[in-house]
Amino acid sequence: MSARPTWLRSGRVLFGLAIVIAIALIALAAPLLAPHEPNEQNLISIFLPPAWANGGDAAFPLGTDSLGRCVLSRLIYGARVAMMVAIVASLGAMLIGAVLAHIAGYFGGWIDWLVGRTVDVWMSFPPVILSLILMVGLGIGLRNVILAIVLVDWTRFCRVLRSEVLVVRRRDYVAAARLVGFSHWRTITREILPSTMPLTITLLSLEMGIAVIVEAILSFVGMSVGANTPAWGQMIADARQYIYDSPWNLVFPILMIFITVLGFNVLGDGLRRALDVRLTETRRA
Amino acid sequence: MGLLVARDLTVSASLDGGRVPVIRDLSFTLKAGKMLGLVGESGAGKSMVGRTVAQLLPSGFAVSGGSLVFSEANLVTMEPEARRALLGREIAFIPQEPLSALNPVLTIRTQFDEHLARIGVAAGDRRPRMLELFDAVHLPHAADLLRRYPHQLSGGMCQRVLIAFAFASKPKLVIADEPTTALDVTIQARIVRLIAEMQERENTAVVFITHDLRLAAQVCDDILVLYAGRAVEYGPARQVFATSGHPYTRCLQLANPAMSGKRRGLYALPERMPGLRAWNGIKGCAFAPRCPNVIEDCTRAMPPLVEVGPNHAAACIRADKTARIAAPALVPAAEPRQTAPVLEVSGLGKRFVAGGLLRRSEVAALSDVGFSLHENEFIGIVGESGSGKSTLARLIVGLETPSQGRIAIAGHDASHPDFDEHRRRHVQMVFQDPQSALNPRRRVASIVTQPLEAAGVATWEERLARADLLLGEIGLPPEAAMRFPQQLSGGQRQRVNIARALCAVPRILIADEIVSGLDVSVQAQLLNLLAALRRERQFSMLFISHDLSVVRHLCDRVLVMYRGEVVESGPTEQVFAAPAHEYTRMLLAAVPPDDPAEVWQGLHA
Amino acid sequence: MTSILSLIARRIFVSVAILVIVSALLFCILRRLPVDPAAMSLPPNATLAEIEAKRHEMGLDLPLFRQYLIWLGQVAYGDLGISIHFRRGVAGLITSTLPATIELAVLAMLIAGALGIAGGLFMFHVRGTAREAVADAGSIALLSLPEFLWGLFFILLFGVALELLPFTGRLSSGFERPVITGFLLLDTLLMRRLDMFWDALKHMILPSLALGLAFSPTIMRVLRSSLIDVYQEDYIHQARLRGLSERRILVHHALKNAILPTLSLMGVQFGFLFGGTLLIEVIYSYPGLGNLMVDAVRNADLPIIQAVGLAYCVVVLAINTVVDALYVVLNPKLRVT
Repeated sequence: MSARPTWLRSGRVLFGLAIVIAIALIALAAPLLAPHEPNEQNLISIFLPPAWANGGDAAFPLGTDSLGRCVLSRLIYGARVAMMVAIVASLGAMLIGAVLAHIAGYFGGWIDWLVGRTVDVWMSFPPVILSLILMVGLGIGLRNVILAIVLVDWTRFCRVLRSEVLVVRRRDYVAAARLVGFSHWRTITREILPSTMPLTITLLSLEMGIAVIVEAILSFVGMSVGANTPAWGQMIADARQYIYDSPWNLVFPILMIFITVLGFNVLGDGLRRALDVRLTETRRA
Repeated sequence: MGLLVARDLTVSASLDGGRVPVIRDLSFTLKAGKMLGLVGESGAGKSMVGRTVAQLLPSGFAVSGGSLVFSEANLVTMEPEARRALLGREIAFIPQEPLSALNPVLTIRTQFDEHLARIGVAAGDRRPRMLELFDAVHLPHAADLLRRYPHQLSGGMCQRVLIAFAFASKPKLVIADEPTTALDVTIQARIVRLIAEMQERENTAVVFITHDLRLAAQVCDDILVLYAGRAVEYGPARQVFATSGHPYTRCLQLANPAMSGKRRGLYALPERMPGLRAWNGIKGCAFAPRCPNVIEDCTRAMPPLVEVGPNHAAACIRADKTARIAAPALVPAAEPRQTAPVLEVSGLGKRFVAGGLLRRSEVAALSDVGFSLHENEFIGIVGESGSGKSTLARLIVGLETPSQGRIAIAGHDASHPDFDEHRRRHVQMVFQDPQSALNPRRRVASIVTQPLEAAGVATWEERLARADLLLGEIGLPPEAAMRFPQQLSGGQRQRVNIARALCAVPRILIADEIVSGLDVSVQAQLLNLLAALRRERQFSMLFISHDLSVVRHLCDRVLVMYRGEVVESGPTEQVFAAPAHEYTRMLLAAVPPDDPAEVWQGLHA
Repeated sequence: MTSILSLIARRIFVSVAILVIVSALLFCILRRLPVDPAAMSLPPNATLAEIEAKRHEMGLDLPLFRQYLIWLGQVAYGDLGISIHFRRGVAGLITSTLPATIELAVLAMLIAGALGIAGGLFMFHVRGTAREAVADAGSIALLSLPEFLWGLFFILLFGVALELLPFTGRLSSGFERPVITGFLLLDTLLMRRLDMFWDALKHMILPSLALGLAFSPTIMRVLRSSLIDVYQEDYIHQARLRGLSERRILVHHALKNAILPTLSLMGVQFGFLFGGTLLIEVIYSYPGLGNLMVDAVRNADLPIIQAVGLAYCVVVLAINTVVDALYVVLNPKLRVT
């Protein structure tokens, strides 16, 4: 019996957590870490390569973009948007999805039917298309990006958790709790929720990775936080236009997205194993 | 020379970095055309013998000594390809769970065809051969059956199909691993009869693995009793049963309730068989800690198998004293009080709606059930799966709503404004499967005092104190309070399950198959516990079971259910001695008689 | 067979119901936009009165519910409205772009399915060996690369650095684009223009590979875990006890069962994949539905957004219907006999 819970002893969980925490810290400490203002333009030194390459400038460790902005600084500030969206949007989606899943799975009947059909309607939309349309309706801005992702991705939690609730609901201990006089609320929170928690946490971790990707996609097509806030997807979109001038500008934000998503995925996979979650349906933005 | 000969066969498993023998120094000889019964409780190693024959052992398990010779070839050292060539041709298997033993996405025909192709039947001859084999295992409508998928067949039909598979190649050896455990009682007897019939016809040798000593004694030529991986007794079936040499064999018999004669007490072995992890530490006889005849010498050295009769050996140094072990006297329970009944059921029916919006149909699970339960009375409800037993229980406790009829508890029925509250106070249920009935994330103390939690007044200290009392009452050590269910054995879990129901001090307990799936010795412990509780507390019980002998032992009255209806009811002794309904007679005939010398009607009918 | 037809009939009925709901939702979301379609469809120097007249003409002064019913009625007759930006019928715009997107998606699905199944078999094959950890880490890394990152990466590698493959459009300049069915690969074959077929295929390799690669790891992982589950089943053990070879057990018994959960996942995945074409089309300047959509979003071209959104839905529902039907074909438990 160690003081550390088993899930913290898994190598995968630790590796994933390390990446995620590192990027969260970068986001928090962005003003301290960034060598330049992210939107500061240096029109005399555009398309500088990274400092180590030929013609690089030590003042711009990862070079500059088409407007001479510091790529490193923009990457660091971009982490703020990515982490903010990842954490808040995922928690929001989890909350809505989990609450509906538990209510639907536990009570069954017409509530279950209604939730199930709503999920069906949602699932008939590719998530990318739905979030894009929502952004058109809501208008750009950080709050709306988060709202759009919550409104699109609650179904991922709802669908998977609902079938899990149905499994747990059939266990005799749920019936036994009702027979000894537990209220519905107490039965759900004390008997069902503890069993669905590991799956919820695992899904949450995976959803955070998805949220990072969706935000990047939206900012790539210019439907996310707006041009004045640096975001990774936006950097990719800019760099793509000058792909022959400076391929580096494309590589760095791609790497950042990959590492961040990898962190969440490894964490999620580690949690799935450590918490012994059966997860047949997975993910994709 | 036998067909299958084991000599000092030892199989061990890697466990916690060391190796533990799961089968130790096993020797037996099975001659062609004979049936050998391997008997033992779960975890004794009996299934491992079958897997050793096929050398399909779980990972980490390996034969570490001795030999297993089939037709003069050692299966242990044989090349894997040569052994695979034997499987399905010379050696065939009949599985425990017929429904899961067939591939769900292939038709019976595809699977049968594959098997016949494998054993070398020419393509043109396969279909006639299938029909011929289905005829031999008494499966009607063979042509139609071939087109079906496994899920469209009943368990009994699947088992017949699998028996047809097994005997298709006219094998020399068939290994049947608990072939009837998953089936209903009445089908059980027919399947055993079929195996015996096929064996005789093809002169096949059969290894019959079972936990049921009575059944083995009835159908086998020889019996080998396993305990903690060792053979404790080996000999001709009738002798092993009638003049047991080993105390364990004797105790197993005495733990089983009798089907005829006077009711007797059950011999409940204390504790349980040591788990695999403890086997390495056992110095002397593994059974010594539970043995009523134990003396100091028993724990010194492992007793060898010694002759106790012709071809009959037992691993006990005091085998001559075994016959002295006797069942305890039956402590009579208080008579049921013939005052107003605590539970009255009349005209009770339940229909389930099946199908979707369009092709809606109703299935009657229960119709017109009526009976009354008096104070301190135990009523047994017997019937096969699908007879409506469990539906009845769920209706009474309120997990389902009746389609019609009336349930009155202590004088009040559903018209009473606080009926649900009233029912909750008086009726509790013990669920069949403790694995599912106990929340794995709660500690035992928290589970057994759940009714206090529901009331929401007790502090954790008060709950712990109550848990301590309850655990004492159901015979669990106080330290079990802080354990989780998965840290307990099956029997202990079922005790916790009972304790939770008792916590609310109900007047009526509904017990749904609470001793099925448990080993005989654990079953005897629980039955004795229920009898003791009945003497100490005053409560009535509806005891649902498919096992007639258990009901006969425990209950004052019995209801026989068939297809949702009560077809016969009355005092237990009377119904069992002189059954009036055809179905009751069939049920009774399906149980092997207490004495293997008697003719088993179910087998010969 | 009848059960499959009735399933398809039922699915079509449900799909139509879903489409009506989805279109109503779209209608409500898009009317929140702070743009005035009437003003946009007039020249900038139009007077307020002219705009008001146009609003009336377009029915924008009616209650939202009435507007929706009118729109729905027009859709029923195949009239999806007029694009504000292109000043062309939306239906025509969609029929000229949808085949391109479907062609891309189908190729990507084939790649995702093939890679997923091969990868799943490989991961199952190496279970319990040292290579398992490598395969597992690889699949998680793959899982962390969404399709648009693959797309950009391929452009950098094969397009810019190695200059092996084209990465814009559907055809090289100099080819006259044939329009028979709209499916370019099919059309070029029908015309027996192998050179053109080859050129079109080359243009599709990078985008479809990017999509396929991004969606294959999920399929791999599900197939692997389904196979592991199936191998725990008693019928596999019994097949071994009957002396069947391991190869036969895998192909004849295990795969036929393990493919079922994999297939139902593919249904969901292919819906997502179809959404993934949007970004890929933008990145590869591929003239399909996605580019139409993104242009419409930038121009706030409501009739197009509304119609293209629905078009995506129709395809996803069609994919689900096909997958469900296939599932029933492969799973006898769902067939009524």
